[in-house]
Amino acid sequence: MMSRWRKLLASLVLVGLLLVSSCAREAPSRFEGAQQESTQRGAEAVAKEAVAGSSLNKFFPAAGKGEQLVYTQEKKGFAEAKLKQQDQDLARMSIADITINPSAAQKYRKSTEKVAGYPAVGQGKTGTGVLVSDRFQVKVLSRDSSFSDLDRIAWLEKFDLDGLSKLQ
Amino acid sequence: MSKPIFKLVDELPTDNLTVRALQSLDFVVPGQWENIVGFENTIRQVTGETDQDMIQQIGDRAVWLYNDKSQGYQRAMWLYQTVDRSDQALASAALANKVGEKISLLGFLNRVTPKADQAQTIDLSLKLVVELVGYCQINGLPGDSISDFTNSLYEEYSGVSKMRMAALVCFDGLIPLGPDFIQRAQSLLESTNPKDLEHNSTYKQISNLIPGDSTSSQLDFIGSSFDSVKGWMGEFVSSRNLTPDKVSNNLQQFIEFSDSKLDYLAAFIDLSTNYYEHTGTQTLAQSLIERALAEI
Repeated sequence: MMSRWRKLLASLVLVGLLLVSSCAREAPSRFEGAQQESTQRGAEAVAKEAVAGSSLNKFFPAAGKGEQLVYTQEKKGFAEAKLKQQDQDLARMSIADITINPSAAQKYRKSTEKVAGYPAVGQGKTGTGVLVSDRFQVKVLSRDSSFSDLDRIAWLEKFDLDGLSKLQ
Repeated sequence: MSKPIFKLVDELPTDNLTVRALQSLDFVVPGQWENIVGFENTIRQVTGETDQDMIQQIGDRAVWLYNDKSQGYQRAMWLYQTVDRSDQALASAALANKVGEKISLLGFLNRVTPKADQAQTIDLSLKLVVELVGYCQINGLPGDSISDFTNSLYEEYSGVSKMRMAALVCFDGLIPLGPDFIQRAQSLLESTNPKDLEHNSTYKQISNLIPGDSTSSQLDFIGSSFDSVKGWMGEFVSSRNLTPDKVSNNLQQFIEFSDSKLDYLAAFIDLSTNYYEHTGTQTLAQSLIERALAEI
C-alpha cells in the first residue's frame, strides 16, 4: 500500500517538475526568424539605392475641399501621408520603394485587376495597392469605416502614377 | 546586440506603478491612452488585421525595419530608454512591487533626496529634447526640425504620444516645480551654464544625439526647444486648469501613498516609474507597424 502511494507521489512530483520546466522555457517568438535574418552582417531593410522619401512627396494627390493631407513619415525609400477631414483620420497613403523587398511585388503578379493601367490588389481588411514600374508600391489604407474600397481606388487614381513610373 | 522589438513590446507591463501613474492622467487627456502591450496584439490593434499570414508579414517587416540602423528606430528607442533610466539605478527593486500597497513617501525618502530645482529643470528640458529628436528619428525628419515638431504637437499629437506629453507636463513640470513651472524652468535654464549641464547624468549619456557641436551650442538648442514648446505647455495647463494638487489627488486614486509633500512625490515618481520608456516603446511600435503594413 505504502509503495503505491510513494509511486503516485513520485509521479506527481515528476509531472509537476515537467510542467514547471516547460513553462520556464519560453516558446520562441514567431518573429524570431525575421530577427535572425535581419541581424546578419550586411542585412538591410531598405536598399542603398532606394530613392529619398522627399522625392516621392510630389506624386501624392492634393487633398480636396475640407480635407487635409498631412505628411507623417519621410524616410529613405518611403513616404507616407494621412488624409484627414476635420479631426478625423480617413486614410493613410504611402509610396514605398520595394527594390529589396521583392516579396511585396509578388502579390501583383497574380492580379488581373488594374488601376489607371497599373496592376492592383486588395490586401487585408483595409488596404489597396498598385505596383508601378515593378519598383514602387503605392498604397491606400482605410482608417475610418466610411472610407470604402471604392474610395481607396479613387484615391489611388489621383496619384501621379505616370510621373512616378519615370522616377529613377 | 539590442533586444528584438517584439520582445520589448511583449515585455511591456500590464500593471505596475508606471501604468497606474499614467492611468491617473486619464482626466488630463481623456480616452487618449490605452495600455496596448504585446507585439502581435499591437499589430492587431493598429492595423485591424486578424489574418495570421498578414500578421506574420507585418511583424516580419517591422522587425527588419527596426533592425536596419539607418532607419533611426533603434536610436529613438535608445533615447526613450536612456532619458528614463539614468535615475532608475537608485530605485530599489522593492519599489517595483509596491502596486496595491500603501507607500510611505517619508520612508522612501530615507533612500533619496528630492532633486534641486535646477536638476529637475534640466531633466524636464532633456525629456523635451528627447521627444523632439525621437519624433524626428521616427518620422524621418532632420534632427533639428523644431518647427515641424511644434506644429505636430499642436496638430497631430494624439493617443500614446499625447499621454507622454501629459505625463511630462504633470510629473516633470507641475509636481516638482509648481504651478508656474514654465516660467521657473525658463529662468533656471537661462542661468544654467555648460558646466552645470555637463554634470547632469542624463545629459552625459545622450549628449551625442543632441544637435550642436559643443556643450554650449547644445545648451542653446535645449533652450530653443524649450522656448518653442512653452506656449504649447502653457495652453495645455491653462485649458485644463491643471494644478499640482489636482494631479496629485488623481494619482492618489491609483497609487496609494501617505504624506503629500510634492517634492517627495516628484522624487518618488522619478525613481519608481519609466513612463518615457513605456509610452515611447508604444509610440515607436505603432509607427513601425503602420509603416510595415504600407510596405508589405
